Amino acid sequence: MAAGPCPAGATDAQPAPAWPDPDRLTYGEIRFSPPKPQRVVLENGLTVYTLEDRELPLVQVSFLVGAGSVFEPDGKAGLAELTGDAMRTGGAGKLGGDEVDEQLEYLAAPVSVNVGMEYGTGSLSVLKRDLEKAFRIFADILRRPAFEEAKVEHAKNLKIEELRRVFDAPQRLAFREFRRVLYAGNPRGRLPEIQTIEAITRDDLVAFHRAHVFPRNLRIAVTGDLSKEEALALVERHFGDWDDEGDFSTAPLPKPQEQGPLYHFSRKGPQSTVIIGTIGPGKESPDFHAFTVLDHILGSGGFRSRIFQEVRSNRGLAYSAGSFFEGRQGYGTFGAYAMTKTESTGQVLSVLQDILKDARESPMPAQDIHLAKRSIVNSYIFSFTSSHMIAFQHMALEFHGLPVKFLAEYPAKIDAVTREDVLKVAQKYLAPDRRTVFVLGDETKFDEPLRSFGTVKRVK
Amino acid sequence: MMPSSKRPPRAAVGPFGVLLTVAALVALAPAASSGYNLEERVQRVTLENGLRLLLVERHTSPTVALYIRHLVGAADEADGQTGAAHLLEHMLFKGTRTIGSKNFKEEERVLKRIRETGTALDRERMKGARADEAEIKRLEQKLKELQSEAKEWVVENEIDRLYTENGAVGLNASTGQDVTTYKVSLPSNRIELWARIEADRMTTPVMREFYTERDVVMEERRQTYESVPARKLSELFFATAFAANPYRRPIIGWPSDIAFLSPDYLESFFRQYHAPGNTVIAIVGDIDAAKTLEMVKKYFGPIPAHPPAVRRVTEEPPQSGPKRVTLAADANPHLIIGWHKPTLPAFEDYVFDVIEALLSKGRTSRFHRSIVQGKQLAEDVSAANGMPGARYPNLFMISGTPRHPHGPDELEEAVYVELEKLKKEPVQKQELEKIVNQLRAEFIRELNSNSGLASRLSYYEIITGDYRYMTRYIDMIEKVTPKDIMEAAKKYLTEENRTVAVLQRKVNP
Repeated sequence: MAAGPCPAGATDAQPAPAWPDPDRLTYGEIRFSPPKPQRVVLENGLTVYTLEDRELPLVQVSFLVGAGSVFEPDGKAGLAELTGDAMRTGGAGKLGGDEVDEQLEYLAAPVSVNVGMEYGTGSLSVLKRDLEKAFRIFADILRRPAFEEAKVEHAKNLKIEELRRVFDAPQRLAFREFRRVLYAGNPRGRLPEIQTIEAITRDDLVAFHRAHVFPRNLRIAVTGDLSKEEALALVERHFGDWDDEGDFSTAPLPKPQEQGPLYHFSRKGPQSTVIIGTIGPGKESPDFHAFTVLDHILGSGGFRSRIFQEVRSNRGLAYSAGSFFEGRQGYGTFGAYAMTKTESTGQVLSVLQDILKDARESPMPAQDIHLAKRSIVNSYIFSFTSSHMIAFQHMALEFHGLPVKFLAEYPAKIDAVTREDVLKVAQKYLAPDRRTVFVLGDETKFDEPLRSFGTVKRVK
Repeated sequence: MMPSSKRPPRAAVGPFGVLLTVAALVALAPAASSGYNLEERVQRVTLENGLRLLLVERHTSPTVALYIRHLVGAADEADGQTGAAHLLEHMLFKGTRTIGSKNFKEEERVLKRIRETGTALDRERMKGARADEAEIKRLEQKLKELQSEAKEWVVENEIDRLYTENGAVGLNASTGQDVTTYKVSLPSNRIELWARIEADRMTTPVMREFYTERDVVMEERRQTYESVPARKLSELFFATAFAANPYRRPIIGWPSDIAFLSPDYLESFFRQYHAPGNTVIAIVGDIDAAKTLEMVKKYFGPIPAHPPAVRRVTEEPPQSGPKRVTLAADANPHLIIGWHKPTLPAFEDYVFDVIEALLSKGRTSRFHRSIVQGKQLAEDVSAANGMPGARYPNLFMISGTPRHPHGPDELEEAVYVELEKLKKEPVQKQELEKIVNQLRAEFIRELNSNSGLASRLSYYEIITGDYRYMTRYIDMIEKVTPKDIMEAAKKYLTEENRTVAVLQRKVNP
């Protein structure tokens, strides 16, 4: 296998070493058992995870709370996100919002709060020496947010400006509108609009926080330069006397569409965004691991995955092309996508449909399955690159109702997936009559009218 | 979950749909009080062929971050060849003679004919209106046939396949004005795979699938510039602020240049700039430093040295009056303002890092307090020192999005009010302390990540010639006085040294 070292066409060549076959390199074994976080439930129901790690003089804290936009009342889409924003900015305990900012920034201890679709998260990162001061503020933000009127108004104004600007970034716009049609008829499909933000009042934020942020609905992970005992004492001191109760709401699970139309969002511009999505299996489903392998082969497994390879490498029709799959509790979200010049929109839509069709009709070649499985299993070790990541994962597993062993069993379950399993989940979840097809683009320049793909519904 | 601190390079374009946008970076240095001495943990070795290597052992998990940086970027391209550095970075994912081919001898024959046909086709197309349409059709058809012939010999995307199969995460590359970067993280027992692939592509890359990849880059441009007015504004801004220096050109290239980039130019560019003497490698993670050094020597050592690249870069003449440019687009308004200034390691560059933090780092920063929260004129307004690169004198830049119904003119005025304060009122001690505290804490957080550390070490080594720029950074920042800030603001943040770019809404018919 000798090969010259000069680049193709180069003349200043020197003799080079024989390159070994990269597929025949051998590697030593990795022996690693990730540290296990400790889990303690306080009397008030608050669950705490701790993991000591003395490498750096730092403490990291995260929380996970069962509060999300799925619990918003009708006509108030955006309330959950605003509640998170104003918890962070609107003052906490005895401190006004500006004082919270001043103290945290002087301590160089950033705190974030984000309330998403199904749950909220937040974090604090602080030097050990400042832990007590910063953690007190962090606790007040969770327990005693002040929701100052001016800060609530400001959060609303910023959100409104963001919504005014949604149309300026076509890809973001496409994924936002895709979400609306994918989850049509489900709370997950309600999106914030300028009117819904304007309808939200401070009282709504107070009520949302009271209903959803309480000890039994909250989990906290504390890791870094402190012992388990120190961590527990810290949490107990700041949260132990909190006995509020609230609302354990659940939202209906989304369902796939039946025989839905092709949704077209009309927008001028040089490129279209094409997305074909569906509701897939949840993390607890017996289909989850097979679907993870399927998604890897279809479009999330790098350059070799089918969508990337065909749309980008073979045809040069896109820069971004692939698929995504996120397993959640009770359901998952899958989508195949590409952004392509307006003049090749029809061609790309056909290619995506063909790739999905092929996955349903013919079993994947054994080597594709093998590659996907090896890739997922080999990168599994990256789930453990920091103590905080490990503790957070334990917290998230429990929050999602999954057993702790879910993580430990993950590689073996991926490895056990067969060609038949992959074919079965492709047939079950990628059936044409349960898909949502969405195209954002300028119909006056498409290479093929969208109606040649089926019934078209204009969503704008 | 954690707030990510900003990382070099500040403006880069990668092959994975990732765009590191205007990241206002402030480099970080160790907290003397933490007793954590990074310099003691870094091993720095120079191989005989000039390649520099930085190693840090960190045994938190059995993983390793591997960074390769070459001192080359868009700023090194010849006129008319903009986009070459970035397309080359894409091409280096196409494999080598021994990776990605079923039979390189056979493949090479077809590749040669593809190149001849593609070159002839480009020459005909360049004639524009006077081109022979029939000849173009004929050549296009011939190219298509040759491309399908070549496919018989190609094993596509093998580099990516090898890495992915072996559990790589964060496999990516990026091209900036100054630096081109190839990075990946692997399970720590697989360093040899990385060495095997990377040393090979540093010596014998093959420009297969060239013309298809050029189309991909055109799509990348459509996606990340043409479709996003705010990005087009920044392109226009740099093209206006710099009259002569190559920083005036977009990293991704102008469309008409990309359309005619050639494999010949890319290869000569590669030979000149991807040589070992122009390269820094950083390896951070669960490694045995001595064994890793041997591995690097074995694979990268035989790469022949190349005479240092001769760089002739047009110096930017001093600006002698305000410049102003407008982009009319169907989008909400956007504002960018910039001033010329010296680059690192000039002391004034540290002063501007402090000014950047004073103005826009965090919710207590001056811009946030006065413009975003106080007057509520903007959705966002931020400062970034050192744009669009650090090898040549660069810009201190401010960009913002006005909040409706306020316009860019009101925002611009409010920014100038804050800058006048900098010139007239000395900064309070507590405000400076806050900034030093933040930079210290960020430095410590950065040590918590193999890839973060590898990124910074390799970036400062390649840009300044010594990674210790980073470890000694806070000491320098602590030297910045209120007087230095006033003087720098007065000297550089002037009207005649200023460029303003404004996106104004124009509704399409």
